[in-house]
Amino acid sequence: MNTSEEQIELISKMINSTKENLKPLSVNFIFWGGLIVGMSLIHYIFPQWIQATQYSSLLFWTVIPVIGMILTVFYNIKNRKTIGYETHLARVIKIIWGVFNISWLLIVPISLLKGVNPVPDILFLLSTALLITGLIIKFRPILIGGLLLMLFTVYINYNSDINFLLVNIIGVSLGMLIPGITLYISKFDE
Amino acid sequence: MNKSIDKLLFNPIRLKIISTLIKTSECDFKHLRKVTESTQGNLSIQLKKLKENNYINIEKSFKNNYPQTTCSITKKGKRKFEEFFETILTYKK
Repeated sequence: MNTSEEQIELISKMINSTKENLKPLSVNFIFWGGLIVGMSLIHYIFPQWIQATQYSSLLFWTVIPVIGMILTVFYNIKNRKTIGYETHLARVIKIIWGVFNISWLLIVPISLLKGVNPVPDILFLLSTALLITGLIIKFRPILIGGLLLMLFTVYINYNSDINFLLVNIIGVSLGMLIPGITLYISKFDE
Repeated sequence: MNKSIDKLLFNPIRLKIISTLIKTSECDFKHLRKVTESTQGNLSIQLKKLKENNYINIEKSFKNNYPQTTCSITKKGKRKFEEFFETILTYKK
């Protein structure tokens, strides 16, 4: 390796060998999209079970997502160890969704203390996280999903009589589940 | 006039290490060994040299009772890599 051309080629080869792996991100989107849509459907179809007691609904919407968060953290740690490196892009995305999770956990008790439904605030926060992620990774379905969810959040703020479980199902499907599946499929097309 | 080249990065293994670390926030020994295609001993020596010159940080931990080495580039390492790249570009001209 004596010439500058060879050195430039080597640098280029090394940088390209450290690939951006967006599959774990798509798995996270599918998992969370599926979980929230599934939980909303169960709550919508069987309200008599979920709202059986004063706290059953709160427990349902707190315990399962917290278990989901723990599972996601373990999945991401395991995945990071398997790959052997973390790119700057992966780190930025990890920080965005880490902050989103903390904010989400804060919004729920604050909203409950104020006596308001936390769904619109969570969906708005989710739409901003999706928009940022879509812009950073330059993936249009996530960007569009985030935009649709943001418009949807604006709409529900002026139509408070709308069923929030249906809002969750439509909003999260458009914002997370469908873009997540699209991202997962697109990785296999590469 | 061409600038003097950084001798530390002139070594292909060390250049491979820095080029990999420039794109990552952290990278483990196993992956570096794979991309540099070098032996465990040689890679350890080159990492030590980069660490001694404050180009990289090395963190050692244990995973399932096995030692694990994680590397990351320092601010000095980034600056030196940029300077090296600019220098080889001037050589190319």
